[in-house]
Amino acid sequence: MAIRQIRIMGDDRLEKVCKPVKEITPRTRELILDMLDTMYEAGGVGLAAPQVGILKRIVVIDVGEGPIVMINPEILETSGEQTGQEGCLSLPGQAGIVTRPNYVKVKAFNENMEEYELEGEELLARAVCHECDHLDGIMYVRHVEGDLFDVTGDEDAEDAEES
Amino acid sequence: MTKPVNIREIALGVLQEITEEEAYSHVVIREVLEKYQYLEKRDRAFITRVVEGTLEHMIQLDYIIEQFSNVPVYNMKPLIRNLLRMSVYQLKYMDSVPDSAVCNEAVRLAQKRGFYNLKGFVNGVLRNTARRLNQVRYPDQQQEPLHYLSVKYSFPIWMLSKWVSQFGYETTEKICRDSHMSKGTVVRCNLSRASKEEIIAELEAQNITVKQHPYLDYALEISDYNYMKAVSAFRKGWIQVQDISSMLVAEIAAPNWGDYCIDVCAAPGGKSLHIADKLSGSGYVEARDVSEYKVQLMQENIERTGAINIRAMVMDATVRDESSVRKADIVLADVPCSGLGVIGKKQDIKYKMSEKQQQDIIRLQRRILAVVQEYVRPGGVLIFSTCTIGADENQFNIKWFLENFPFRLENIDPYICEELHSKTTQGGYIQLLPGVHHSDGFFIARLRRLEEPDIMR
Repeated sequence: MAIRQIRIMGDDRLEKVCKPVKEITPRTRELILDMLDTMYEAGGVGLAAPQVGILKRIVVIDVGEGPIVMINPEILETSGEQTGQEGCLSLPGQAGIVTRPNYVKVKAFNENMEEYELEGEELLARAVCHECDHLDGIMYVRHVEGDLFDVTGDEDAEDAEES
Repeated sequence: MTKPVNIREIALGVLQEITEEEAYSHVVIREVLEKYQYLEKRDRAFITRVVEGTLEHMIQLDYIIEQFSNVPVYNMKPLIRNLLRMSVYQLKYMDSVPDSAVCNEAVRLAQKRGFYNLKGFVNGVLRNTARRLNQVRYPDQQQEPLHYLSVKYSFPIWMLSKWVSQFGYETTEKICRDSHMSKGTVVRCNLSRASKEEIIAELEAQNITVKQHPYLDYALEISDYNYMKAVSAFRKGWIQVQDISSMLVAEIAAPNWGDYCIDVCAAPGGKSLHIADKLSGSGYVEARDVSEYKVQLMQENIERTGAINIRAMVMDATVRDESSVRKADIVLADVPCSGLGVIGKKQDIKYKMSEKQQQDIIRLQRRILAVVQEYVRPGGVLIFSTCTIGADENQFNIKWFLENFPFRLENIDPYICEELHSKTTQGGYIQLLPGVHHSDGFFIARLRRLEEPDIMR
């Protein structure tokens, strides 16, 4: 397990369409664990494999309700909409307003290559859309309404509070 | 994807800083709004409203929480305590937020901040509160008059009992009630830069509501503006934000052409500038303060108004400055105080002040007075003022001062409008009370240093 380097916008790996995963190898397993570590370390709620330079269709998400691993995810259904602020670990210090579906239903495989379906609303729906976009080489900035803005400040330091 | 900004979490963080880390509410709120400038106006307004409202009603909120919790508020984890306070505030005072949203968000926040095991507790207290808020029984005014005031207006009992003994019950209630009223901002017209008519026209052109203040002709009360910095009359240096009570200081100081004035605790500089204005460019005002940062702010303010007969400088009022001894025609001692007169503007003051702290402040006030009284030339004037109410820091200080130094009180009626005249103003001082007077709570005394022959006698 290790923290991997997050690629920053401008890196051409962020603009590529990723390849589906055919089977789980020890290397894939290690990648998934590293992606989770890297996401938590960066204080993110989602991370896609191309963000650490690997062009595979793998996404990890945790919106505060536990880790979700999605391999070869496919969005089956969306509905409603939500408009709000969105940011990306590959474009630190910036954010923009993006409109996304408020509900998504997604099909994916877990780390044991078992197929499952997942429904999500609000933040989870937003995260699923955002990360799946990465797998097709799409950064959220493409969807931003108006200008990007600076979001300085770091909330994460105080999140490590004791219980 | 990065973590989205959670405005409730920001509000909670601000409350934590103010209630647990002794930070000042107005400073923390200002810093947070600056940091989150990019948030939408609605979100920024939500943060301000929740933080200020929770502070304003904190004792009452705690009382309500304790009706539904078997753990007393002071025994809770600080974060949970503040989370419950701000949630109950939303339940009771913000109709625009649905009760279910308040409860759900609070539970989620508790979990997010690592209090997984207290999710049920937070949920239980809040759902019960939401359901039975109307059935809460508050203390009875007849049976427990002080407790009644304390819970209704969120003031600590020790403060109330002092006020009741000095001002009476009814006046005390007026003071408490007034602290919850929203008010316009009082501004002073800088008449050396523009006429009052020009200023009013400029303000009204920006759709700002302007009202004449009853106590002073050049004081206006303005409301319905967004940002002071966007008000053009302010940017041009035509108006200065200053409460009426503080303007009365310069009136009562009544400087004469060419006077040398020392303002020993000057920041943020409103009174000094006002006196400089009244000197119409003559004389000289030294605006001193101990904090380098505040002196710099004052200097900026001075430059904005374009005054030339005033200078800001760093100097500690408790340290004797030999070169000032017996030099000043007027010394202004607007000493640090408990600030109980401005609770309406800075709600956290009422919880942070204690009797012990007040004693420390009184010691500091006397140290300053003992040093700076020497700067007044024989026959010169010392103006003593505080933005607090109650005899301890005001009348008792004056009494102590007169017993120790060669000064006498002087009638202030000639300098103030008739509406403010009273026995004490003839005697030489005025205690302004919020809710009774049209002003912040404030105290001003005018003292004249005896001429040498007077002392010999």
